[in-house]
Amino acid sequence: MKHTDAVKQFIIDEFLPDVSVTELDSEYDLVHGGVIDSLGLLKTMAWLEDRFDLRADELDLDPNSFRSVDAISRFIEDAHRRRPESD
Amino acid sequence: MIRWNADQTALRQGIGRWCEALSAGDIERDAEGVFPQDQWKLIQESGILGLPFDERWGGLGQSLLTTMYVLEELGRGCRDGGLNFSVATHMVSSGVPLQRFGSQELKQRYLPGICSGETIGAHAITETESGSDALAMRTTATREHDDFVLRGSKSFVSNGPVAGLFVVYARTHPDGGPFGITAFAVERDTPGLVIGEPVAKMGLRTSPLSELHFDDCRIPASAVIGRVGSGFLVLDHVMKWEILCSFIINTGQMRYRLDRCVEYAKERIQFGKPIGSYQSVSNKIVDMRIGLDTARKWLYDTAARLMDGENVTTDIAVSKLLASESNLASALAAVQIFGGSGYLTEYGLEKDLRDAVAGPIYSGTSEIQRNRIASMLGL
Ligand SMILES: Cc1cc2nc3c(=O)[nH]c(=O)nc-3n(C[C@H](O)[C@H](O)[C@H](O)COP(=O)(O)OP(=O)(O)OC[C@H]3O[C@@H](n4cnc5c(N)ncnc54)[C@H](O)[C@@H]3O)c2cc1C
Repeated sequence: MKHTDAVKQFIIDEFLPDVSVTELDSEYDLVHGGVIDSLGLLKTMAWLEDRFDLRADELDLDPNSFRSVDAISRFIEDAHRRRPESD
Repeated sequence: MIRWNADQTALRQGIGRWCEALSAGDIERDAEGVFPQDQWKLIQESGILGLPFDERWGGLGQSLLTTMYVLEELGRGCRDGGLNFSVATHMVSSGVPLQRFGSQELKQRYLPGICSGETIGAHAITETESGSDALAMRTTATREHDDFVLRGSKSFVSNGPVAGLFVVYARTHPDGGPFGITAFAVERDTPGLVIGEPVAKMGLRTSPLSELHFDDCRIPASAVIGRVGSGFLVLDHVMKWEILCSFIINTGQMRYRLDRCVEYAKERIQFGKPIGSYQSVSNKIVDMRIGLDTARKWLYDTAARLMDGENVTTDIAVSKLLASESNLASALAAVQIFGGSGYLTEYGLEKDLRDAVAGPIYSGTSEIQRNRIASMLGL
């Protein structure tokens, strides 16, 4: 997935400063693992909106969209696919 | 700066015409501490309750900004702060999440009653053990076949004693973090829902507040608003609307108070001169004006950016902090400027002050808003 590296870097910079990029599995459950709490979720949403130009009201409410690096990357691609003119 | 068009101005003037009748007897009602049923009927007739909702449900299909512009006028003209608070709570607690995230079935069932005000709305998030840390809530919603069963208690439910529809936030996953909460639409007469007696409080006394108890309260799975596990995201959307709608009403109240203080400072003579000629009085009034303008600008600017799809996580927190604290400062200054008279119930200013104390507490305390801003700054 084309956004995996960027998402992983964001998660590490924001929430896991002591972890290296290779150590973070992109399927690791960020919610169950306590990495993303409520403020973390708001931060992640803010970053997605700024970095990938997603409108807040386009963001899917599916909790599973935010569970892992892979899920977030997939979510960005889906959102862009739904809005072809932005790609 | 926003330039309001003729339709927006007409809607705003429209609510202005109801305000005298809405305010009548406000001080007596505050002393009694009861919900003003007769004034609620006037609110229904005015049409204000349907402002931001789709026309197909009986709403007026207006934008967030227009809704705020009309609510601001309600705040300026209607002296019953509790009633104003109940209006905002009604609109944002149930109508807003239903319109944005509700299924067609839920919209059809509830939005017409919400738009007309026939069904009063409320929401239940807070519990005795979880206030600021709302996601630590213990009320559970357990899936049983086609139903969910609610168990637990909620506190501080504004409109609780009079509401017909509650949006209840409950835990659907024991350790789901921010995804462990789900929002449900729960009707007042659902078996197992017990509504507590109105709880006495410092201000906003005409807006009744109570506890809710869920004793094996069974609701259909179709009552889920959004998706299972999306309650925090629903709540985040609702809180943005709550802050913008509730605190723009406060800026209307600040405008009213400012006008009154200017007038009084010109009229009241002490030591042979109007008290407004003394800088320690005029400076207080200037600060009231600065607080009002700053809060207003932040609220409208944040609303405009939200409508444009921008991320407003920080802006909402700044707006809430500024508006609630400026409103409290303005209410306190008004009492001081009026001297002993400000302290008397009949002037209505001490009631405003008691009402304003709640602002930095509900919709996320000032401390929590500061935490949010700090977190967004990377601290
Ligand atoms: C008039 C009114 C109407 C309300 N209406 C509703 C309603 O309709 N529905 C609903 O669900 N709730 C409602 N509430 C409840 C309201 O949301 C809570 O009171 C509020 O979230 C604070 O929670 P708490 O009272 O448990 O205080 P606590 O969370 O116990 O906080 C106590 C103090 O500690 C501070 N504090 C807590 N945590 C931190 C921290 N991490 N950092 C710094 N300081 C901290 C707080 O800021 C506060 O000063 C209402 C409250 C009021 C006053």
